[in-house]
Amino acid sequence: MAKKEESYNEAIKRLRAIVAEIEQGDLDVDLLADRVKEATRLIQLCKDKLYKVDEEVKKVLEELSDE
Amino acid sequence: MSRREGEIQPNPIPSAQETLSLLELNNRIRDALSEALPDTYWVRAEMSDVRVNASSGHCYLEFVEKNPQSGQLVAKVRGSIWARIFRMLKPYFEMETGQAFASGLNVLVKVSVEFHELYGLSLNVLDIDPTYTIGDMARKRMEIIRQLQEEGVFTLNKELPFPILPRRIAIITSPTAAGYEDFMNQLTHNKKNYPFYSHLFPALMQGDKTEASVIAALDRIYKHQALFDVVVIIRGGGATSDLSSFDSYLLATNCAQFPLPIITGIGHERDDTIVDMVAHTRLKTPTAVAEFLISRMDEAASAVDELRQAVITLSSDQLMRQRNYLRLLTARFPSLVMNRVERIRSDLRSLAARFPAQISSALSQREAGLGTIALRLRNATSTGLAERGRFLQLTEQFIKMASPEYILRRGYSLTMKEGKIVKHAAELREGDELTTRFMDGEVKSIVQVKKTN
Repeated sequence: MAKKEESYNEAIKRLRAIVAEIEQGDLDVDLLADRVKEATRLIQLCKDKLYKVDEEVKKVLEELSDE
Repeated sequence: MSRREGEIQPNPIPSAQETLSLLELNNRIRDALSEALPDTYWVRAEMSDVRVNASSGHCYLEFVEKNPQSGQLVAKVRGSIWARIFRMLKPYFEMETGQAFASGLNVLVKVSVEFHELYGLSLNVLDIDPTYTIGDMARKRMEIIRQLQEEGVFTLNKELPFPILPRRIAIITSPTAAGYEDFMNQLTHNKKNYPFYSHLFPALMQGDKTEASVIAALDRIYKHQALFDVVVIIRGGGATSDLSSFDSYLLATNCAQFPLPIITGIGHERDDTIVDMVAHTRLKTPTAVAEFLISRMDEAASAVDELRQAVITLSSDQLMRQRNYLRLLTARFPSLVMNRVERIRSDLRSLAARFPAQISSALSQREAGLGTIALRLRNATSTGLAERGRFLQLTEQFIKMASPEYILRRGYSLTMKEGKIVKHAAELREGDELTTRFMDGEVKSIVQVKKTN
């Protein structure tokens, strides 16, 4: 799960980089399309992490014995 | 000590009248005490063995004093608080101090010294000053805080990075506490439907065993720490303020050094306990803890939304800029061309402006040339005209001399037949009517005889 959070953090980091790159304003139009596509994918990844139930985690914690 | 014969007896055994019964002695002690200590006194002492008689409502306890270094008892006396006073004193003390009226607290009490023939010495409590206890607790807390700081552990938990998505939650609480239910309700019914995963590590949250029980729960979580993002320690309102366990050094140092961020919601209104102080985040109630976790998820979600919005806005801006640039190029093309043309024109104009000097000199040359030409033309013309004039006069003269009027005046006449001049006799036949024109009139005649030459 630490791994999963890592990928979430990485996605956010990459998104910030993309935003900064677009913000520069001198991106070639074809490159711009690529970046927007990548950003869309990363945003979906983050949203999945935020809103989708991770059955694996759920199961592990439910089955955790107390001792 | 044995007595020897013949020795002087300084204290001979008195007669029965001179002896005292125990009751008589105790009465004398009582009288002596009330004479020697007739007032009430403010006394500092630690309470111990506090108990309340359920039926009478009287409170019995021991007042003790310990050697501050060794902790050994150096003084001890019984105490009592009659129900009439205790009914008001207990809630007052607990409200002011936030502490249960219980053993182990140092108190400042107003007492009268009582001696009962049967029950002996006791201090009868008439009043209490909670500010002393507050000060004493604060001093003890300060000592613990200083110790934690000196050991360099006080801020350790606060320094842990808080997870961006605090979803896997280890809960320390009593499963029967109302606070636990509140927490779970709040957490699972969050509006955005964030998934949270929790596991309960039960512990006693009040009473003497709280400290050990919470530490044991922390130890269990420690074994599974990789499975969790945060630890929450929560407690419902429950019984009044039995919070001394959360001011314990041992529990505080365990919390401070725990490798996961700890959030507290142990439900109290007074100043933070030491556990609250060392925890990563201190909140008042279990509900507030749940809200906090949800708000962190909200923050993460809105960060994603902001990034999404930024990508959309910036990329469409960028496209718009490109489009506008194209449009600008298109729109400006004619004026660019015009400018260019204008520039060329003005170049020409400035070239022209530099010309006049050259031109005027050239012109004046030409002009001079033209002058002579004109002069010659004029001369030639006037000569020509004079010649023409003479020619005209001559011609006019010829014409005059050739005109019929002129000829008629000189005596000639014109013969005409049917309006036409007759030039040959052959044109005429006898009987033709002729008209003869003279200078001053005409006559008509008929051809009578024709003779040709």
